[in-house]
Amino acid sequence: MMDGILSREAGRRILAMGNEAVARGALEAGVGYFATYPGTPASEIGDTLIAMRDYIPTLYAEYSANEHVALHGAIGASFSGIRSMAAMKHVGMNVAAEPLHFLGLTGVVAGLVLVIGSDPGATCSTTEQDDRWYSLHTHAPILEPSDIQEIKDFTREAFGLSERFNVPVVLNVPSRLAHNAGDLILGEMPKQRGEAGHFVKNPVRYFNLFQTAVENHRRLLEAVDRMREYAYQSPLNRVLPGSGDWGIITTSVNYGYLLEALDLLGLYDLPILKIGISYPVSPALVADFLSPLKGAIIVEDLEGFLELQVKKAAYDANLTLPIRGKDLFPRYGELNVDLISQVLAREFGGEDRLEGLQIADRAKPIIEKLPPRTGAFCAGCPHRATMYSLMKATRRQEVYGGDIGCLTLSGLPPHYASDWVTCMNCGLATCQGVSKTIADQKVITIVGDSTFFHSGVAALVNAVQQNADVLLIFLDNKWIAMTGHQPSPTTNLTVDGEKVSGINIRELMRVLGVKYVRTIDPFNVRAMMNGILEALEVPGFKVIIAERECSLQADRRRRRFKPEEDVYYDIDPERCQRCEECYIEFGCPAIRSRMEGGEEIYYIEEATCTLCGACKSVCPNSAITKTEVRSKVKVSELAGVGSG
Amino acid sequence: MKTYDIVICGFGGQGVITLGNLLKLAGIKEGISVSGAERRGGAQREGGVISHVRYRILEEGEEFDERRMTRSGLIPSGKADMLIAFEPLEAARHCNFLHPRSVAVMNTEPSPPTLVRMKKYTYPALDDLLGTLKQFTPFLYPFNINELSRDYFHDFQHISVISLGLAVGVGDIPVSREKFLEVLQERFPDFEGNRRGFAFGLRLGLSARNQG
Repeated sequence: MMDGILSREAGRRILAMGNEAVARGALEAGVGYFATYPGTPASEIGDTLIAMRDYIPTLYAEYSANEHVALHGAIGASFSGIRSMAAMKHVGMNVAAEPLHFLGLTGVVAGLVLVIGSDPGATCSTTEQDDRWYSLHTHAPILEPSDIQEIKDFTREAFGLSERFNVPVVLNVPSRLAHNAGDLILGEMPKQRGEAGHFVKNPVRYFNLFQTAVENHRRLLEAVDRMREYAYQSPLNRVLPGSGDWGIITTSVNYGYLLEALDLLGLYDLPILKIGISYPVSPALVADFLSPLKGAIIVEDLEGFLELQVKKAAYDANLTLPIRGKDLFPRYGELNVDLISQVLAREFGGEDRLEGLQIADRAKPIIEKLPPRTGAFCAGCPHRATMYSLMKATRRQEVYGGDIGCLTLSGLPPHYASDWVTCMNCGLATCQGVSKTIADQKVITIVGDSTFFHSGVAALVNAVQQNADVLLIFLDNKWIAMTGHQPSPTTNLTVDGEKVSGINIRELMRVLGVKYVRTIDPFNVRAMMNGILEALEVPGFKVIIAERECSLQADRRRRRFKPEEDVYYDIDPERCQRCEECYIEFGCPAIRSRMEGGEEIYYIEEATCTLCGACKSVCPNSAITKTEVRSKVKVSELAGVGSG
Repeated sequence: MKTYDIVICGFGGQGVITLGNLLKLAGIKEGISVSGAERRGGAQREGGVISHVRYRILEEGEEFDERRMTRSGLIPSGKADMLIAFEPLEAARHCNFLHPRSVAVMNTEPSPPTLVRMKKYTYPALDDLLGTLKQFTPFLYPFNINELSRDYFHDFQHISVISLGLAVGVGDIPVSREKFLEVLQERFPDFEGNRRGFAFGLRLGLSARNQG
């Protein structure tokens, strides 16, 4: 859908997803520097802008090693007078928090926008933390668009606000907006862009030390005060008037949910304050809205960030009306139309109009009984083979550190190969602590290539220096696969087959002082199992590099360059003993079962199989065979439907 | 204002998101306002995937009324006019979206989740899954689309486009066939194959609909 994002045709309506709307807004604002570390739900912002480099020569855009680096890069560009943007998922803010805390002190030159892909409901994350709370100490103003159009318009606006108030501006885009695709009406693109920047020295702002830091702190607080005054008049906040004596305050994606819920309930007269600037909330705006009301309800996700500010504003204005919020709505998980309409029906009536909720009530016990569908490694994924080998070799008896990436799925059934997963590089460093304190178990951890280079080098150096008794299995699949195959530091072949230079992990390990390093192909299951057992006999820190490219990328290249190839894998039903080794323990989704003549048989589903052949080395009965000549496709005898 | 809401469900790698985008792109060509969120977490990794497609059509001379006509990115329970399910278990999992006049197109080729493989759950019989869905709407259109694709096109690449044809055939999607063909031509490789797949599904859908 990227073609429309570059269009110069203002007023044209295109299909764009929320993340693409962010990219378009930045382009309309003349962004000249962009940096990101990919993380769902924010990944496509980077994918879009980085693809634009080919068309906009003055746009610099990169996948950075991590969010800390990405934001620092954007700061450098801003100091040099170039509008810049950094994008990351919510937990990326934890990594970028350090530069962000200083960015308020130094201020910006050209506008700097930090886009956060937040994730109420943890639809694609290991936590649903609400990054808006950071602004209580970073003081970065937060804009919260409510639909795709506003995402673009607010992004564009954010650059100007950043310059006007000399602060970085945060744009909060929750997953349900980031991954919403719909209408976007384009605005004007800048005519002239990209004069080279120029760095003007400004030590009083940039060189933060002792009294300068205190002075800049004062300046920052005053900037936020000015921003708070601006918020009173800003068109980014808006009131939908109504004659009702209760009002509703909401923001972000919940504005759409709220309007739809009120439509279902047939309630059209409640005044609504739609907050677009959720930090700093304008106290005067809140007081104006609340003073004629008998009560108000705040509809927002998570723990009540608006509620805190609204209640403070009401207190300061001596308003004593009831303000409801997190006493009505949960402080965890995401809100939706069902939930909001149910709560509002309790307060205002109209429950009989909610047939959808009755259907949901009927459906709930049915859905709860269905087998859940947990994520699993893709067919042909080298990680599956590695995890299978690890659990077979160690019989699930040891301590297994988990980490972030596709390999997080190793903690799910059938492997159960991660005893914990929290943040990036939670594996090795935690394992070191475990290894220094236990004696009865071996300690094994995993990490992927991109995650390692994000923030794992220090953990590795530490493990070497302290000679931690840990086996690190480095799953080098050459891509940032989980977020959509952005290049990682070890990528050495593009999907088009072009060679690029990637870091050689083996050499890096040597340079960092790791004495025991083995490289093993995960598809050689027997070699991997033996390699793991051998390594575990060696005391101290050791590394096995499980090197094999992501199967999706390898398979794409195979399909592109060898369409004539005609190979398939088959399970011989005569030899197969239904021992469950391939079907359950290995658990490749291409291996299926069906009943035939009252007996269960296993078979390989061709549409899913990527021809990796790992199952062949898993089968103890040699029942899985590779065939180079395809059997004839059965053409159905059902005639008459034809293929028009 | 007329609306038409579609829930597409399946699991990662099946083309749920692509079909959602195709439906939206054709809607935009038709001059219809479109929106709808996707759940992509684990999208390439066998996890459940869902795409909401929401069409909103103003009547001639009708003005947009923000209070009455705003539609969020997520279809509320009981509000989907159509369910397109790429897998039977996933069809049942999304029965809460159906209302008594909803139309459900469903691929009957089962794909057992890991916990079924591990024998911690039993995969329900297809008839039971159909029975479940029938409690919500009588308008069910089950087909083994994997088999149709294999038997008539000798591959599995046509499953999505056959599903699209079926959906257009059995439902009242407010977008003309020409617009779908335009999108297929502009955005996807192998137009001829996709055109044939779409026509095949469409004919099958129309015939199933006429048989009631």
